[in-house]
Amino acid sequence: MADDSKVTIQVDGQTVEARKGAMLIEATDAVGIDIPRFCYHKKLSVAANCRMCLVEVEKAPKPLPACATPVTEGMVVHTASPLARGAQKGTMEFLLINHPLDCPICDQGGECELQDVAMGYGGDISRYAEGKRVVPNPDIGPLISTDLTRCIHCTRCVRFGEEIAGLRELGATGRGEHTTIGTYIKHAVASELSGNVIDLCPVGALTSKPYRFTARPWELRQQAGVAMHDGVGSNFWLHTRGSRVLRAVPRDNESINEVWLADRDRYSYLGLNASDRLLTPQVKRDGAWHPCDWSEALRVAAQGLREAAGEEGGEQLGFLAAPNATAEELFLLQKLARGLGSAHLDHRLRQGDFSAQAAEPRHPWLGMPVADLEGVDAALVIGSHLRKEQPLLNHRLRKAALRGAQVAFLNPLEFDSNFPVAHSLVASPVALVTELAAVAAALAGASGKAAPAGLIPEGTAPGEAHAAIAAHLSEGERATVLLGALAVAHPAYGQLAALARFIADASGACLGFLAPAGNSVGAALAGVLPHRLPGGDDAAASGLDARAMLEQPRRGYLLLGVEPELDCWDPATAASALDQAACVVALSAFTSPDLLELADVLLPIAGYAETSGTAVNAAGDWQSWNGAVPPPGEARQGWKVLRVLGNEFGIEGFAQRDSREVLEELRAACADLAPDNAAPSAPTPTQPVLDGLVRVGEVPIYACDAVVRRAAALQATDDHVEACVHLAPADAEQLGLNGVAQVSVTQGDLHLTLPLSVDARVAPGSVWIPAGVPGSSRGPACGPVTIDKA
Amino acid sequence: MNTIVNYLRSLFLLELLKGLKLTGRYFLSTKFTVQYPEEKTPQSNRFRGIHALRRYANGEERCIACKLCEAVCPALAITIEAEPRDDGQRRTTLYDIDLFKCVYCGYCEEACPVDAVVLTRVYEVAFDRRGQNIMTKQKLLAMGDEHETQIAADRTTDARFR
Amino acid sequence: MAENQTELLSAASCAAIDAELAKYPDDQRQSAVMAALTITQDANGGWLTRELMDAVADYLGMPAIAVYEVATFYSMYELKPVGRHKLCVCTNISCLLRGSEEVVAHLSERLGIGLGETTPDGRITLKEVECLGACANAPMLQYGDRYVEDLTPEKLDQLLEGLE
Repeated sequence: MADDSKVTIQVDGQTVEARKGAMLIEATDAVGIDIPRFCYHKKLSVAANCRMCLVEVEKAPKPLPACATPVTEGMVVHTASPLARGAQKGTMEFLLINHPLDCPICDQGGECELQDVAMGYGGDISRYAEGKRVVPNPDIGPLISTDLTRCIHCTRCVRFGEEIAGLRELGATGRGEHTTIGTYIKHAVASELSGNVIDLCPVGALTSKPYRFTARPWELRQQAGVAMHDGVGSNFWLHTRGSRVLRAVPRDNESINEVWLADRDRYSYLGLNASDRLLTPQVKRDGAWHPCDWSEALRVAAQGLREAAGEEGGEQLGFLAAPNATAEELFLLQKLARGLGSAHLDHRLRQGDFSAQAAEPRHPWLGMPVADLEGVDAALVIGSHLRKEQPLLNHRLRKAALRGAQVAFLNPLEFDSNFPVAHSLVASPVALVTELAAVAAALAGASGKAAPAGLIPEGTAPGEAHAAIAAHLSEGERATVLLGALAVAHPAYGQLAALARFIADASGACLGFLAPAGNSVGAALAGVLPHRLPGGDDAAASGLDARAMLEQPRRGYLLLGVEPELDCWDPATAASALDQAACVVALSAFTSPDLLELADVLLPIAGYAETSGTAVNAAGDWQSWNGAVPPPGEARQGWKVLRVLGNEFGIEGFAQRDSREVLEELRAACADLAPDNAAPSAPTPTQPVLDGLVRVGEVPIYACDAVVRRAAALQATDDHVEACVHLAPADAEQLGLNGVAQVSVTQGDLHLTLPLSVDARVAPGSVWIPAGVPGSSRGPACGPVTIDKA
Repeated sequence: MNTIVNYLRSLFLLELLKGLKLTGRYFLSTKFTVQYPEEKTPQSNRFRGIHALRRYANGEERCIACKLCEAVCPALAITIEAEPRDDGQRRTTLYDIDLFKCVYCGYCEEACPVDAVVLTRVYEVAFDRRGQNIMTKQKLLAMGDEHETQIAADRTTDARFR
Repeated sequence: MAENQTELLSAASCAAIDAELAKYPDDQRQSAVMAALTITQDANGGWLTRELMDAVADYLGMPAIAVYEVATFYSMYELKPVGRHKLCVCTNISCLLRGSEEVVAHLSERLGIGLGETTPDGRITLKEVECLGACANAPMLQYGDRYVEDLTPEKLDQLLEGLE
């Protein structure tokens, strides 16, 4: 561990205390003394290659770089003496020798570190009259545009790739004046965090491609926002001009996203400007859509739902909400549903098994604050493509792994990881339960704690890897067991969760849930669950869950931000239930093809940048924001639509004047509730009989929700996934499918033909067919599947 | 006595003659009234009339959508939208100057790094319909094309002082 | 990129690289990158292909881009095919003052090629390099592992005749 003792130094006559071993620039930054710099960045290693931070240190013969000079007791530093200023001015002149004077067409112009430092520390004229160098620009993908002539070789992007993204993608090739930053061979920068090099680049060499040339920084207004596409809840600034969001940049928050932003959060705003935004309320009459005004649409919606409910009251109504809606919307939806007498409401659209939902915690969470994840010593991640599912949680876990933590994965596929993985167990969904049971058995044997009866199947014999994982979890001072999206989608999720709970208990590790969306936790707190009220209290009678209310079709449905064909665990069943229903009211920001087909009333609502709202992230942090831009067209904020709908039905408690009042009601309901993963009861989960080939419906990183699916630049990256069947080589051999290009996929009575890829990463018995992707199989995300020659 | 003098003055219409003398003097002196619109006053080469957008000799428009003119304009008369053109260059898709707002201060011309937006010597502006006060990109480029010789000559004359 | 490309390296090259690797600690395999590139280049007729660099990266367990960085940084690695003989003429300050321009002019005239070019028959490549540290005997050129110093047109002619 680092020595915590302090040393005292003198900077510009000021006495400064600094941690022993800290670099000079850290000490001056801490007290607000400004030293110019390009290559130094607090989150990256020290390179000391730009020479901009030269300062005078007494008794040193030459100026020293502040970023690479450790503080020593009694050091006397002058940051603005003639010697230091002279060195800085000289460096600046050298840097500007090859820097083009194209600030007027450079997107960095106005927010450029080189401009600022040149103003503050540079000379007013260059003595260089020779020709400047020109560097060709490689195409490094749809997210980042390059103008390498502007590069000053600070190598921040290179170090970012190596140290943060865990992929050494960019490099400095050539020498001296011929140095260029590039991938040498042009392949798209394939990290899910690649957009951060735009913020790191101190000049305009790496800029955002979708934002290219559209605005100048001084025209933009910034509004704080929170990303809703994963459980992290990254903080960002939305930069807007007029009524359009033009870009998103990270908002520093050490406890959540540090200074980073995943590409998905950075570029999802493009989806808000998609061409298929729903702009006016519409009602369907005789199979044709008619735009109408709000009062008519709301009247038709209320009447339709009332008629669908009929005499049975709410029993015939089902309510489905996307887990990336705001907490206010979710709370009002819950109020509306329960006000109408229905207990059939849910946000767990992609969950495969609800048999043990009574054991789900009242306030599920990650088990620790986001920042603590980097301090774990051992982790077992069950059913998660963590790197693509939760990029910034993966980053935290990567830091832990690089520090020496033993991280194990249990997945139906061998996913790429950007850090050393201690054990990677790959098993088909059928074997997933037994593999996890083997770890549990190893722990039961080692710790002497008995597992609940029937949890561990008879005759489970732990292997070497299982024993090693169990040992790491028990030995680790801080260990965690995390349940990811593929576990949630598993038809035996209840059993997986119970096993994970036992493993955590027996090893002293902390159990954590990787919230799949920005407000999954918030939705649970708001009571958008068939068996829980807001605040986590048990409902008097449990209603139908997300899967059951579609398998037992209701006569009326209300959808909040849901695209049934892409967001549901079993799209075909969802479509058929909605198709049969007498009335389907959809609150949506987009005119999705499936909603046009299945819904009867479309009510346009605001996207995440257009509404005020609150989200509760995986770690239980409540974060509120204000709308950055007005919703387009006739669209209104979702909570307002729900409130008016409540009034339309004449239900009590829909008189809030702004979203803060809604939030206060919700917070009051949750006042006594602290994040806690303890199970309120211990039901016996069903153990579905699975065998043969089982589909693994992983949701690709850029297919997670409606906005992301519409962000064109993200869809143009290599992470965009087309519907395709991935089979293990052994299975392909056995089925005689080697060399076959197209196969026929059968799930229940659904048939379709998809391209085949034989993929060594897939566990035998697993069939990897992505979910959430148009044109993919519409059967359950995790369930039996048959593959034949087309 | 006074009475007699006053009587004589009025008898011989002295006041009238004095007045006529002034009239006569101006009647015979050089005139400085300009017979607008047949005649026009001379202009400085720095005259600030309505705006134009210039092109390079090869026909390429100069403006690169840096938006400095928009930023410097004290009357917020300029509106610019930009995006990458098909060949990847930074170009405007919209360049509007509202002549109702413009105060003809010339800051836009001062701010322009590529001498694209200039104030011409043209000052005869009349609108008979709402909307004509907006100088669109097409109108501005047409102005530039029409007056390029004069614009270039004026900038050359003034170059020594810039 | 993911597949193993080390089979591009011959057994002899691998053995030579292993001998170099023995000089460094086991966890510092990248230290041998320069030697490995030299060995690979010599085995491939004097130049490196991208596949060969990838193979070296694989063999040493380094990111490919880090190998490219080294290969592009140093002037002794060739990334395009070269002639059977490579003449590296120093044109840095000392040699320049002592007449390297004439040396280059003479060679260009005799061979009919400019700096950085190869004769059409693939015999000789002419290359401009920076200071090679033999300023005392400028002007000079490097041919193979040998320095030829105090160059005169006669000496150059003699050298050229000796190259088949």
